Amino acid sequence: MMELIPLFMFAAVFGALLLGYPAAATLAGVALAFALGGAALGAFDLSDLGFISGRLFGIATNQTLLAVPLFVFMGVMLEKSQIAERLLDSLTGLMSGAKGGLAIAVILVGMLMAASTGIVGATVVTLGLIALPTMLNAGYDSRVATGTIAATGTLGQIIPPSIVLVLLGDVLSNAYQQAQLQQGIFAPNTVSVGDLFAGALVPGLLLVALYMGLILFIAWRKPERLEASAARTREKPSMKTLVLGISPPLILIVAVLGAILGGYSTPTEAAGVGAVGSVLLALAYGKLNVGALRETSQETLKTTAMVFFILIGASIFSLVFRAYGGDELVRSTFDAMPGGEIGALLIVMLVLFLLGFILDFIEITFVVVPIVGPVLLAMGFDPVWLGIMIAINLQTSFLTPPFGFSLFYLRGVTPASVDTRNMYRGVTPFIGLQLLMLLLLAAFPALATWLPYAIR
Amino acid sequence: MKHIADLIDGFQDRLGRSLAWLTAAMVAVTLIVVVLRYGFGIGAIALQESVIYMNSLVFLAGIAWTLKENGHVRVDIFYSRFSMRTRNLVDLFGHLLLLLPVCIVIFIWCYDWVLASWRIREGSPEVGGIPAVFLLKTLLLVLPSLLIVQIVSESIKLVLALRTGGDSQ
Repeated sequence: MMELIPLFMFAAVFGALLLGYPAAATLAGVALAFALGGAALGAFDLSDLGFISGRLFGIATNQTLLAVPLFVFMGVMLEKSQIAERLLDSLTGLMSGAKGGLAIAVILVGMLMAASTGIVGATVVTLGLIALPTMLNAGYDSRVATGTIAATGTLGQIIPPSIVLVLLGDVLSNAYQQAQLQQGIFAPNTVSVGDLFAGALVPGLLLVALYMGLILFIAWRKPERLEASAARTREKPSMKTLVLGISPPLILIVAVLGAILGGYSTPTEAAGVGAVGSVLLALAYGKLNVGALRETSQETLKTTAMVFFILIGASIFSLVFRAYGGDELVRSTFDAMPGGEIGALLIVMLVLFLLGFILDFIEITFVVVPIVGPVLLAMGFDPVWLGIMIAINLQTSFLTPPFGFSLFYLRGVTPASVDTRNMYRGVTPFIGLQLLMLLLLAAFPALATWLPYAIR
Repeated sequence: MKHIADLIDGFQDRLGRSLAWLTAAMVAVTLIVVVLRYGFGIGAIALQESVIYMNSLVFLAGIAWTLKENGHVRVDIFYSRFSMRTRNLVDLFGHLLLLLPVCIVIFIWCYDWVLASWRIREGSPEVGGIPAVFLLKTLLLVLPSLLIVQIVSESIKLVLALRTGGDSQ
């Protein structure tokens, strides 16, 4: 009975989370209820809670996580400088001659925005507001239009520099060390946020290519679902406008990524420089003033506080979970599972996919990955590969009806005339592409692992 | 009772909005650190540590204001469909049964540890670092203290809203 307490804990916290009280406090509160209740019954040693101080201080002084507020600042600032509007404007101008050109432009803008902000909700809402009306007016079938936007919006998870990968990188590097220590390796290999960025690059770009391929396929087989007329709706912009519109954000992203992947700077330093770059960009676009700076700072503080509070809640949860032997339970369950390593991996991926319907990536990264990560890594899976698999898996989950986050965000900004069922039908082929990507990655792990090890 | 909540909210607003500027300062200082290191080969440990201090201050003291601003992420698949009254009840019970105990536990279990750090005026583990780790650790007591203050304000607003059947905001 005692050894099942972690299971009850998980069930209790899951039920409590569904009530909708802020997740961070729910995680910590339910865990403490178990700790105090256990102490009353003599099943929990309250001195274990003494680790809280060290855990919290560790979070406060974590060098890797310093990149979070800086990347958030950069993303919010870029949003304030209305970079997406500009990009979409230049790219649709360039592409408006061809069938499917508008959708391809949206995918490219989404890719650039994903790389610069890395926040799913923000990308989906912005694209939904500025691109969806344009696409519908041009005669796009609502299925194609909403599917493209919802899918493109989730690219922020996977295309570096992404906040998801920063958090995942931090958690995985701890899990990797733990896995190796348990195996008696006392000079463990490490995995860094930079490794995850490098690992995500090829799969991320491949996904973009797959999305564009789908649009080209539609243009070939069902052209009636795209632009009503292939006639050029607007002037082709001059080379100068085009370069001025696209290159500043592109240079910023390439510089930030290049600095990290080239090993010149840490993600934190690159994020700081990128944030300064975003301020300069806002200045160049005439969007910089005290008000914009104030709003950006305040949004950055709130997002940072939100992320770190979940981290605090999750670490208190895992403290109690471990004290009750939760790690042991997970390990023995996996050992008893039929199908060995592959079976364990499949189960974890399925569970993460289902959890993705309800929890967002921060909660999953901080609560679930620390529990299952060390076990999977001890089985010999590559940490970079596992991280990218998890990221794409969650991205797919956020896209899947009826619970996908991306669909919720998009529904919020989509005119009522678009039927929700059509949105669901629209994302279905994109979900297929996501699954294809997962299969490709499973069959060819080098897609994720080649670059990080090549540039080390 | 309402004026107590207003007083607390006003204080947290001022605190949160002031702290927010530190995020811009973090960006600026990080740039300076990078320029010094790559431009001049100077490793400015104290400056680097100051970013950690600012970040800790930002989130440990900003979590309470974020609560007031309803900025903490919720699992809202059911919550968003609840009636206003049910939502207020969830929040009130959450504040008192989940968040408040968490704050009390954090405060009690960190108190001696912070005190020990004060007694020796604990400095930086790095040479040339900021000699104020005891202040940094004190933030672990600031977090629960500010949160408890905000819980008082939120609970007052929620109870008033539940009585009148209105919105707590």
